[in-house]
Amino acid sequence: MADSESRMPRHIVRLLLIFAIGGAIALIARILFQDKSYGRYGIYRGDAVAEIAADEPMYQGPGYCQSCHAERHAEWTAGIHKVVVCETCHGAAAKHPSAKAAVTVDLAGKSTRVRIAGERLEHIKLAIPADSVKLCTLCHEKMPGRPAAQKQIEVSSHAGGQQCIVCHNPHSPKIGAAGAQKAGKPGDAAAGRKKAAACAACHGAEGVSGNPEWPSLAGQQRGYLAGALLAYKSGARPDPMMSAQAKGLSEADIGDLAAFYSDASCKAAGSKSSAQLASAGKAKAAACASCHGAEGVSGNPAWPSLAGLQEAYLVNALKAYQSGARRNPMMAGLAKGLSEAEIGQLAAYYAGLKCK
Amino acid sequence: MKWKIGEHRPDRRRLLRLLGRAFVYAGTALFSVGLMGRRGLAAAIPALAGTGYDWTKHRWGFGIDATRCIGCLRCVEACKTENGVSRDAHHFRTWVERYVYLKGEKAPRIDSQADPGNIAASGSETEYRFDNRYRDAKVEKAFFVPKLCNQCEHPPCVQVCPVGATFRTPDGVVLIDHDYCIGCQYCVQACPYGARSFNPKHEVTDKCTWCYHRITRGLKPACVEACPVDARIFGDQNDPESPISRFIRENRVQVLQPAMGTSPNVFYVGIEKEVV
Ligand code: HEC
Ligand code: HEC
Ligand code: HEC
Ligand code: HEC
Ligand code: HEC
Ligand code: HEC
Repeated sequence: MADSESRMPRHIVRLLLIFAIGGAIALIARILFQDKSYGRYGIYRGDAVAEIAADEPMYQGPGYCQSCHAERHAEWTAGIHKVVVCETCHGAAAKHPSAKAAVTVDLAGKSTRVRIAGERLEHIKLAIPADSVKLCTLCHEKMPGRPAAQKQIEVSSHAGGQQCIVCHNPHSPKIGAAGAQKAGKPGDAAAGRKKAAACAACHGAEGVSGNPEWPSLAGQQRGYLAGALLAYKSGARPDPMMSAQAKGLSEADIGDLAAFYSDASCKAAGSKSSAQLASAGKAKAAACASCHGAEGVSGNPAWPSLAGLQEAYLVNALKAYQSGARRNPMMAGLAKGLSEAEIGQLAAYYAGLKCK
Repeated sequence: MKWKIGEHRPDRRRLLRLLGRAFVYAGTALFSVGLMGRRGLAAAIPALAGTGYDWTKHRWGFGIDATRCIGCLRCVEACKTENGVSRDAHHFRTWVERYVYLKGEKAPRIDSQADPGNIAASGSETEYRFDNRYRDAKVEKAFFVPKLCNQCEHPPCVQVCPVGATFRTPDGVVLIDHDYCIGCQYCVQACPYGARSFNPKHEVTDKCTWCYHRITRGLKPACVEACPVDARIFGDQNDPESPISRFIRENRVQVLQPAMGTSPNVFYVGIEKEVV
């Protein structure tokens, strides 16, 4: 028995043997099955890094759009929305443009590597946002928690249920002209009365014009009058008669004249067209009410009242917006869709309304 | 029993000697494996060499300026699209929380885009927007806080992974190898920030990668690209003139739950103590 005494007990030998076999199997398995790149950089599969880095970017960035949509891109770059990248509103541009329809790709099924990708939507055809109210209010709805620096609106009272892009260009949304005109010096109505002598021949002594094509000024919005005169003076609103008249006016003159005319009591020009025409115009005018007032008297000092203006003048103005002779981003969009008949109806309606 | 307790037994000594030797061998073997693991850390990734990207040269960092965030959630949308994250209200690589302190209440009310009220406002689980529930409330203070993976210097999620499926790269991003992930979700439990989520469809864990496929191409992460108000700042901490280095230098920044010892690489400005 001395022999067996000097040897290791059998159960220990067995145990060690099992360990050794287990170890050997593990080693073989490691050689056979473990990825070659495992442990190359650390305790992980080195190739995984390059695989993750190989994903194709979906967002291409605004620079990508420039080559094909140069005009849109230039407009956007010049405007205040250049902080909102194109793809925020239009969706990711990977694979755009392409003839194929939008497809949903489940990458897990496509790749040998298990990729976590539920649905990666590839917008081959980019979306034109259908509902701008939904889109724009994401960033502009007045909400506690939004920093004051972000311009916010009370949606219900600001837009009156209209699509935002009726008035705002989504690529350059700031309404510059109308906004700027609102400000301006208060002006002195008494001084304005004296300066208005030069205007009486065409606009009437008290701002009520007798000529069917020349507008009355009495009772018009003060900010709008000042803005219009500034626009004639600068050439932004060219007109053979008014450009010359406005050239000599100083800013103080303009403020005084605007004060005088806006305080003067107005007299509606009236319409000579049929009542039928005017009532057809009334139905169309619903689209105008949010800016020009329900009864043609604007609530915004920078926007003109239309009630009681000369019928022929209204027709000319709308046609001027249509042709581009008179420029205004809001009116251009609205006038574009009007037919000749509709313009006549609207003019008949507004000319016949009582001004304030 | 051939022997009694206390009796001299030469066998036992031999066994001890043997075990001692085994320990030394095993130790040496483990040590060399360990060395093997370290090897190559200083090298660029060969597969990415073509792009000129060298991961030893960068140390990415991320900043959040909560005073600027408007809660538009375009970052969440961009992240979902860019990374193919499941289109539902339960899986997010990045998200935004709203903190509202009402007059007379001590604790803030907190919600995120995954809140049922906000899902109702957006119209579906695949779109994201905050509702206006506090419009008429007496709000003392309110702000939005974008959240994402902190890409910790000492990531607890990496420590607990039993299969080496998640790791931290030398340029400072914690990634997941979805091939090796077994879906045990230890890492989901381990993350103190709730930055990881489990994808039941593919049975793997998912997390923010700072858009590793973009930053290695010189692009910004998609959420940073989409943010219209610069509430998200990204850059290379090795470059003193990068946006993130400036952000850290010019602001009094803080990290989330510093006591956890994780050393996050996402730096916040303009948050309250309730934000964790
Ligand atoms: C290589 C040229 C090219 C580039 C680059 C490009 N587009 Fe386009 N885009 C087109 C063409 C061609 C169409 C019209 C055909 C179509 O809809 O696919 C179009 C159409 C569109 C439309 C209108 C879709 C419709 O239904 O009418 C939008 C919106 C648009 N692109 C946005 C973008 C944005 C945003 C980018 C940048 C991220 C971009 N595009 C980059 C060529 C381009
Ligand atoms: C704030 C959101 C927003 C951003 C940012 C934006 N767009 Fe648009 N875009 C719109 C909306 C809304 C329309 C639809 C306008 C309309 O119907 O009059 C549109 C229309 C277009 C169209 C015309 C489609 C057509 O056939 O009329 C193109 C092309 C386009 N966008 C390209 C771009 C490009 C390029 C950029 C970036 C430089 C960009 N957009 C940025 C919202 C946006
Ligand atoms: C992703 C967020 C976002 C979306 C969507 C968005 N905007 Fe903006 N918008 C901004 C930011 C940010 C600014 C301010 C930029 C600045 O101050 O430099 C801005 C500026 C504006 C301004 C100028 C405000 C001023 O200073 O007078 C208007 C008007 C505007 N947006 C209207 C719109 C309209 C209309 C839409 C929808 C077509 C829209 N926005 C969609 C983020 C957004
Ligand atoms: C009926 C025309 C109209 C519509 C529709 C409209 N806006 Fe405006 N919006 C304006 C005008 C005009 C201004 C400039 C007013 C001013 O300067 O006081 C303006 C100003 C703004 C401003 C800047 C506010 C500020 O405080 O400076 C934002 C933001 C804005 N709009 C967003 C929107 C959004 C979002 C929608 C859609 C829900 C929308 N608008 C619809 C006419 C409109
Ligand atoms: C020779 C005739 C004539 C004289 C003198 C004249 N105007 Fe005019 N005015 C017009 C005509 C014609 C229009 C319409 C022009 C148009 O369609 O843009 C007009 C338009 C205007 C408008 C814009 C009204 C609107 O509703 O858009 C204002 C304001 C105005 N004039 C102020 C004045 C002032 C102030 C003076 C004096 C300094 C003056 N005008 C002198 C003929 C004249
Ligand atoms: C988004 C606001 C808005 C809407 C809606 C709108 N307008 Fe205007 N409108 C304006 C502004 C602003 C001006 C001044 C533009 C300028 O300075 O040339 C104007 C000017 C006019 C003028 C010239 C007035 C004058 O004294 O010279 C006429 C006519 C007019 N609008 C008719 C209409 C009609 C008709 C509609 C409805 C189909 C309409 N507008 C809808 C904003 C609007």
